[in-house]
Amino acid sequence: MNKGRYFEEISDAIVNLEEGRAVELAERAITGDMDVLEVIEKGFGTAINKIGKLWETGEYFLPELMLGGTIVQRAMDVLLPRLKAQGKAATFGKVLVATIEGDIHSIGKNIVATMLSANGFEVVDLGVDVPVERIIAQAIEQDVDAIGVSALLTTTMPGQKALVEAMVTKGVRDKFKVFLGGAAVNAEWVKHCGADGYAENAIDAVKLIKEALRGSSKGGK
Amino acid sequence: MGNDARKSSVARPRYRLLDDGQIERIHATTLKILEETGVRVADPEGIRVLEEAGCAVEKEDIVRIPRGVVEACIESAPSRIDIYDRKGEPAMVLEGRNSYFGLGTDLPTTVDLETGEARRSVLQDVVNAARVADFCPNIDFIASFALPGDVPTNTMYVECFKAEVENSTKPIFFTAAGKDDLEYIARMARAVAGGMEALRQKPFLIHYSEPVAPLTHSKGAVDKLLFCAENGIPICYIPTVLLGASGPVTLAGGITQANAEALSGIVMHQLKKGGAPIVSGWAVVPLDMKSMTYCYGSPEVRLTNAAFADIYHHYEIPCWGIVGTDSHVLDQQAAMEHAFAELLAAMDGANLIHDVGYLGQGLLGSPASIVMCDEIVSYIRRFMKGFEISEETLALDLIDKNSPLKAPQANFLAERHTLKHFRTEIWRPAVCNRDMPDAWRKKGGKTYGQRVVEKAREILKHHSPASLDPGVVKVLAAIVGEARTGLEGKKFNA
Ligand code: B12
Repeated sequence: MNKGRYFEEISDAIVNLEEGRAVELAERAITGDMDVLEVIEKGFGTAINKIGKLWETGEYFLPELMLGGTIVQRAMDVLLPRLKAQGKAATFGKVLVATIEGDIHSIGKNIVATMLSANGFEVVDLGVDVPVERIIAQAIEQDVDAIGVSALLTTTMPGQKALVEAMVTKGVRDKFKVFLGGAAVNAEWVKHCGADGYAENAIDAVKLIKEALRGSSKGGK
Repeated sequence: MGNDARKSSVARPRYRLLDDGQIERIHATTLKILEETGVRVADPEGIRVLEEAGCAVEKEDIVRIPRGVVEACIESAPSRIDIYDRKGEPAMVLEGRNSYFGLGTDLPTTVDLETGEARRSVLQDVVNAARVADFCPNIDFIASFALPGDVPTNTMYVECFKAEVENSTKPIFFTAAGKDDLEYIARMARAVAGGMEALRQKPFLIHYSEPVAPLTHSKGAVDKLLFCAENGIPICYIPTVLLGASGPVTLAGGITQANAEALSGIVMHQLKKGGAPIVSGWAVVPLDMKSMTYCYGSPEVRLTNAAFADIYHHYEIPCWGIVGTDSHVLDQQAAMEHAFAELLAAMDGANLIHDVGYLGQGLLGSPASIVMCDEIVSYIRRFMKGFEISEETLALDLIDKNSPLKAPQANFLAERHTLKHFRTEIWRPAVCNRDMPDAWRKKGGKTYGQRVVEKAREILKHHSPASLDPGVVKVLAAIVGEARTGLEGKKFNA
């Protein structure tokens, strides 16, 4: 198959949400010894853009976005070992996500996590009710670029502030960008916490983090 | 034809969604989930009571509940809960198809009555909501409504409770961050009722706590559930399933999963203390697949609400109801969604219908919205009352007397029969317009939205709720003081 045709096919498989086909085509890239970075850019990249367009025109809804994201991840899992072996970075950066200690509102955080990975970020999801110490320790251990924490309760929002403060105390504030989310979070609160930004919804969250990490992620894409 | 002239009956609006077979099927599937899939219980005491009753525990916190245990607990849960007001007078009988309407809790933003702007909620908003609701005849119970941002975070629920009990005599539906602040609130309630036993006998409060979909009882939720069981504080333990996000997108799947969450809560509660008062039900709500929001104002909520009402009537366990709107202002959408919601919740026969007055997807409050919903409920109560069919109301003699044959100038308006019945037969609104165009214009030509704002202002200016005994007020202040030190720096369990 010629390359152009191949990129089109893998992109279509993702856009049409055909998981088996997308994974199979990714495997073919490995057996066919293709340039995996090119596959990611021209295959996955095109697919993600197309899905984005279909979302904007109102044809695709959240389930298509989420399933599309999951399929990109599965196909990426096939390519990742090759990429690592070549010492290349495949992502826009690595983002740790969690809901803050005391808070179990997981739905928004889950959507943000899936959207980020669909859009080419590596995501470390620590789940819900996560203490500040654990967030920082994991951020250091996993060498992430950014931390995104969600809080929906007034009683748990102080944890977002405590996170930034603890990062300052530990001398790691400059190592990671910090983004906040959740229904009660707003720009004023982000400023108060000394964090780097917030987004009202998952689409804006991806834009925000993409913009903020552009050119600065350790993986450096 | 049944034509007994002496017989009298009432025509009442009735609505049932599920037939017996459908209830049985959902129930059987729920039991299968509880018995085979199991639920997660993140609290050692919760696990202990379940294990003691013969439930199997796997991987530390996954519990499988045999059907016999579930059925015994449905049986032991009371089918009637009597709720009193602050003064110890009967206020609500949560039973059968009795419907009561009241506020919801925790709205972080409030539409300011003076400026019309949305701003951060403060403690005064809790006071205002309590006072407005105290005045409104169709609001049966109150709640914090606002979530105050101007008091220490860890004591906000304690401060809310004090503000509510001091500004209304109506029963209080309340949240707590955890068992720790709940203890302070229980102490306040005892001080108001005149002791532990008096409060048990005549509870004027209902706690509101929620497990976490899918199939998880968090430590914080179970703590509060069991505390209420032990202390005889009625609790409303309600799972929320977001269709397609924290449960299946299909309504049948969503409600069955939610029922497993609700029933496993009832089981823990009843095992802790058989016969302790619990109100159940669930919120099974769509996640809008574009805006990614929780849709209070959707038709699906009305269907899932109807389903649990049918199922809990079958279980003979009192059930709650949820209303609300997705509009961020008090506008036509808010009115439409609230009117449908309150009406259908009443038709469902839900007992404790909460979130009356809620705006903005559960994030926004407005005292004017309480006034609007008071009128909506007033309308609904008239509707639900139906009408009597009897010799007197069929009024055959009257029709005959005013017939063309006997009275060329029929004048029903001057009849005693009309005088006798019009006040009870014909509803009159308090705020809705019924004026002719000129009269309406003369009064300023105001919209409904403007009039409910004005009425809310009037209420706040003129209505003074029955005051609380000054001795009790002092005790409450002292408890809040203690809570401020006792809860400082406290982290609540999720
Ligand atoms: C669903 C829900 C629940 C479910 C959660 C289920 C689950 N598995 O997540 C359950 C029933 C368990 C629950 C429990 C409680 N809840 Co609740 N809950 C809600 C509700 C109705 C919707 C939340 C939601 O899922 N929205 C949909 C998702 C997709 O939106 P989202 O979370 O906001 O996420 C979006 C954005 O915020 C953003 N985002 C999210 N995370 C991040 C992260 C980053 C980094 C970025 C950039 C962006 C971002 O993108 C997301 C997608 O667009 C809200 C009301 C509301 N409208 O927010 C109340 C609400 C948040 N809950 C509330 C309360 C009070 C509680 C309880 C205390 C109730 C009780 N009596 O027990 C408990 C507390 C439990 C705990 N310890 O955490 C209050 C909070 C008030 C406050 N400010 O403190 C609210 C506002 C409702 C209310 N007014 O009462 N709740």
